[in-house]
Amino acid sequence: MPDATLAPGGTADLVADERARSAELARRADSRRQLLQNAGVAVPFLIVLVLGLTVVPHFASGSNITNMLVNAAILAIVGYGMTLVIAVRGIDLSVGSAQALAACVAASAVNSAGPLVGALVGIAVGAGLGLANGLVVTQLRVPGFIATLSTMSVFRGLVLLFTGGAPIMIASTSFKSVATASLLGIPVPFLVAVLLGAAAWFAFDRMRFGKHVVAVGGSPEAAVDTGISVNRVVLLSYLVSGAAAGIGGVLLASQLGVVNGSVAAGLELQAIAIVVLGGTSMAGGRPRVVGTFVAALLLSMINSGLNLLNVPSFYQYVALGALLVFALSIDGAQRAAVRRMLEGRLS
Amino acid sequence: MTAVLQVVDVVQEYPGVRALKGVSLDLVPGQVLGLVGENGAGKSTLIRVLGGIEQPVSGQVLVHGTPRTFRSSAESQAAGISVVSQEFRLVPQLSVADNVFLGHELAAGGVVDRSRTRGRTAELLEQLGLDLDADRPVSSLTVGDRQMVEIARALSREFDVIIMDEPTAALNVAETKRLHEIVRRLASQGKAVVYVSHHLDEIFEICDDVAVLRDGELVAHAPTRELDEARLVEHMLGRKPQTFERAAADVADATVRLDVSGVRVPGVAEPFDLQVQAGEIVGLAGLVGSGRTELTRALFGDLKTSGGQGLVDGKPVRLRSPREAIRSGVFMLSEDRKGEGILPHLDVTENAMVSRDRRALPLLQRLLPLVSDERAQFARLRADMRIRVPHGRQLIGNLSGGNQQKVLLGRALLSGCAVLLLNEPTRGVDVGAKVDIYQLIKQLADAGVAVVVSSSDAPELAAIADRCQVYFAGRRVAELRGRDVTEDNIVGASVGQTEVSHA
Repeated sequence: MPDATLAPGGTADLVADERARSAELARRADSRRQLLQNAGVAVPFLIVLVLGLTVVPHFASGSNITNMLVNAAILAIVGYGMTLVIAVRGIDLSVGSAQALAACVAASAVNSAGPLVGALVGIAVGAGLGLANGLVVTQLRVPGFIATLSTMSVFRGLVLLFTGGAPIMIASTSFKSVATASLLGIPVPFLVAVLLGAAAWFAFDRMRFGKHVVAVGGSPEAAVDTGISVNRVVLLSYLVSGAAAGIGGVLLASQLGVVNGSVAAGLELQAIAIVVLGGTSMAGGRPRVVGTFVAALLLSMINSGLNLLNVPSFYQYVALGALLVFALSIDGAQRAAVRRMLEGRLS
Repeated sequence: MTAVLQVVDVVQEYPGVRALKGVSLDLVPGQVLGLVGENGAGKSTLIRVLGGIEQPVSGQVLVHGTPRTFRSSAESQAAGISVVSQEFRLVPQLSVADNVFLGHELAAGGVVDRSRTRGRTAELLEQLGLDLDADRPVSSLTVGDRQMVEIARALSREFDVIIMDEPTAALNVAETKRLHEIVRRLASQGKAVVYVSHHLDEIFEICDDVAVLRDGELVAHAPTRELDEARLVEHMLGRKPQTFERAAADVADATVRLDVSGVRVPGVAEPFDLQVQAGEIVGLAGLVGSGRTELTRALFGDLKTSGGQGLVDGKPVRLRSPREAIRSGVFMLSEDRKGEGILPHLDVTENAMVSRDRRALPLLQRLLPLVSDERAQFARLRADMRIRVPHGRQLIGNLSGGNQQKVLLGRALLSGCAVLLLNEPTRGVDVGAKVDIYQLIKQLADAGVAVVVSSSDAPELAAIADRCQVYFAGRRVAELRGRDVTEDNIVGASVGQTEVSHA
């Protein structure tokens, strides 16, 4: 048998080459995914901003900017909750109804017990409704889509029962002034949205809970094996989503001054659109709070621009639907990029 | 010495199956216990019971002499049992460090201590001899590195007993050696190790004792030095093993059935050429990640290719989709039998018939398959292929890996293919069924099919292949023929050694 020893370093070099090649491939695929994620929201944002500033009259007027920022803030806060639920592979279709119920109960509580109590009651109502969703999903084992589609109808019915179909006028001027007040020229709701966004980012990126959320959404089997209680994480996610809808409801009540049982209709679609547009994957495991925030600003600009151009509101539905399809196609492309990367690597 | 872990008369049942029929085992600190048995013998069930994933019907698990019941994996971990599972249980979106400490994060007040997490992970990776950035997302790692991260995770916990379920399945030779060193070191530190493997040479190399499970019963438990490989296999099978001998195919004047030249495949460095004659079995060897899986998938139209051309029986074929590939006579069985092979909710008959070539059948029967005809077809297959099922309506998901593979080979046979591509045909298949499958592959070849077998199992290729191409990092580094197709040559070439030793 001839000598079978190796030329020194031959194999090691080849192995090192192969490792370097695979690392390079992985890095490239990852950067492509990131590019898609960021460009998916940044490019439309810039286009709409430039179009708004150049084409739309009064787009940059003080009152319109305030209006856009407050709308974006309410949307973004609900979006944070939705980001969390989608990150654990769920979805919350009941956020609009939950927000309406929270807003109406809050309005009535403001009238009877004062602004602060009213606000707290509103948030508590939202959290309670979220808890109900979470229990239906985790304890009754109903898939999130169907569970929240059902509770969307239940909550909407409850708010119509609560109001009896009549609008609730809020008497307290101090409560109403929250949405219009500003600090250093920035509307208070917007500041709230920024603070909550920072808190959400910190929780996702730096806290134990965030790691567990990514684990549950990214690989539920791995989560179970490492001793994470999947049910607990999912339950908490729906609860937070409900509470976020509640906070949004309180701000909405403050902004409108008069609320009725049909406010916030269709909010769920807007919330899903901004979350997906922001780069959070529908497949779970990739929450992107900053993306959600930017996408909320984008959607608010689009709505405002169409309003100022006197485009009939029907077109806004078309625009929203088109935006959602666009966002989902980006999400699909991003997942395909990941899959291609895995195919190049794992064989 | 007192036992750190005692399993007393554990029974586990699934609907219709008694997976464990009263198994008892003792484990003392510093002991490395090899756990072997065919697939379906109950190894995985026992591991799931110890890991807290399943609760036994009866029997007890004692840790340090106290009886414990584990209702979740968290409780089992808290009792000092750490499991390296066979399937990858990592979160691809999280970094290596986050994965290692998932579920037991180094955190204060819910906030993860990132520098400590990173530092401890780097230490663990260094122990494992792995040069890896702890911040890299797991989705970007190779299979072998993922396995090492999985092991690092198990080591990151406090444990007295570590259970490794086929830890070397995805590792290359060097990584396997390193793992063996780690196992020895753990044992010398007084940890008890349960080591599950299908590779018996590993068992003899590192285990003090061997426990053999067969049909849910412990049939042997003895010090390794009192056993040899043949006796061990006999215990596993409950009979003497059959051996497989293949006479070299007579390829004097055979026709070329598959002829591919100059095809470029993503992930493979060189353009790809391959000719396979009728009745020939060609092996593709190479480490995990060497590109051979990509090649078979490209031939099946499952990966985009560019350039070059492919001929099947002299007719040009386009490799654009599996559907086109099957139509032109190319069939593939994937390495991921569960995910891409079987249709788990259908019965064995339906699974075998799904790709059947119906062109010769009367028109009506093409649209509406006759139940009696399909049944008769399956009965023939079952006899020919020695598929062990009670009846044709048995769901395929409940069968052992070997029987599933036989049904899939039946599917390939019925597809009337000219070229059959097999990826890891005996992965997860036990020793007894392996020989059956080799014989079936040989039968298919003798019937005139051109067979390409891609495998990481060198002895397997040495046993069945007439010719073997060896790949390394996307390049063909050797082509072995006839008597040069030996385990040593294949393994040597797979790690980049170019010298061929002639037998």
